[in-house]
Amino acid sequence: MVSDERFFAWLDGELEPEDAARVETDVAADPRLSAMAAEHRAMQAQLKGAFDSLLDAPVSGSILAAVRNPPQAHVVDFAQAKARREPRRWPSTAQWGAMAATLANGILLGTVVPHERGAGPVEVQGGKLYAASALNRALDTQLAGTPSGDLRIGLTFRDQAGAICRSFTSSASSGLACRENGRWQMRGLFAAPEGQSSDYRMAAGMDPNLAALVDSTIAGEPLDAAGEKAARSNGWR
Amino acid sequence: MESPLSFEDGLTTLLPRLRRFAHTLSRNAADADDLVQAAVERALRSRAQWEAGTRLDSWLYRIMRNLWIDTVRSRGRREDLHAPVEEAERIGEDPRTALEASIDLKRAMAAMQRLPEEQREVVALILIEGFGYRECSEILALPIGTVSSRLVRGRLALLQMMGE
Repeated sequence: MVSDERFFAWLDGELEPEDAARVETDVAADPRLSAMAAEHRAMQAQLKGAFDSLLDAPVSGSILAAVRNPPQAHVVDFAQAKARREPRRWPSTAQWGAMAATLANGILLGTVVPHERGAGPVEVQGGKLYAASALNRALDTQLAGTPSGDLRIGLTFRDQAGAICRSFTSSASSGLACRENGRWQMRGLFAAPEGQSSDYRMAAGMDPNLAALVDSTIAGEPLDAAGEKAARSNGWR
Repeated sequence: MESPLSFEDGLTTLLPRLRRFAHTLSRNAADADDLVQAAVERALRSRAQWEAGTRLDSWLYRIMRNLWIDTVRSRGRREDLHAPVEEAERIGEDPRTALEASIDLKRAMAAMQRLPEEQREVVALILIEGFGYRECSEILALPIGTVSSRLVRGRLALLQMMGE
């Protein structure tokens, strides 16, 4: 029996050669699957063909002009830009204890997450690190795609134990927090490489360390916008 | 070593593809053109952040997709779901070709619009733009399993619609 996901991964050429050969045999032996393959190939060709008509259409002059004559200020030396961007990431969960200690000393509170005067964005209690102040409020109330100030909520999902987790990004850092005993416990916090603009952080998508942490934490799929709202109404339980 | 010129050359070469991607996301040609314009402007502003030697296309698609998500969210989901799909405009120079192309394109855009946003972007990147699952998951910052299950649902829905 070929699952839908495996069938389509085969159709898209995403399987390893041996696995692909097995599915190929199954499909060849099953008229229903063969018909399904033909149907979907035709659908994709039709869809792609329709949009491909755009490739030959002339690109508007104003866009070309924008590309060809960018304001002078945008010309930046690549080597310089790269030097500024040398990654300076925090260790992930493996070295969490040491990092928590640093945070507890208050040395980095100001630089890691935007915070209010006199109130750190994280606090340590019983050896665990929890979101506090502005970060805590953002995790409690903010929905994805409606950034407030510098902070943007990314994915909301359930972990393997069923707790709600939320990823977040600011210009200085990104991280993941999960609900535990009615609070947001930090599962990971990654400092942004120095000198990255918020435009870049947006364009670059998720920090690879954070992406790996999300991958290893998530059970099933992230909540969609409606699910996110419902979870908020339900107090993130 | 990359010369400063290569960024513009790369961007210019990729414009037709970016335009195609914009049409897969947008409900009409005017929105798509606005999206291309905005993405190009943002790419130029952020060009120092693109790392020479990494894929420029993935970087640009990511910029465009994130801009699109912001647009959709600020416009409000309800309006987006119920807005009529307008005539796709300005396709090619030859009026006859343009007419034929625009009928197919109009149907295809209408079908894409009926997909939930989450499925549409995955379908667009993989079935139309030709990215692999892994590249798509990197552009969208989603787990690969999520990409593959959204793709299954999206293409099943499309098959039904295109057959109507």
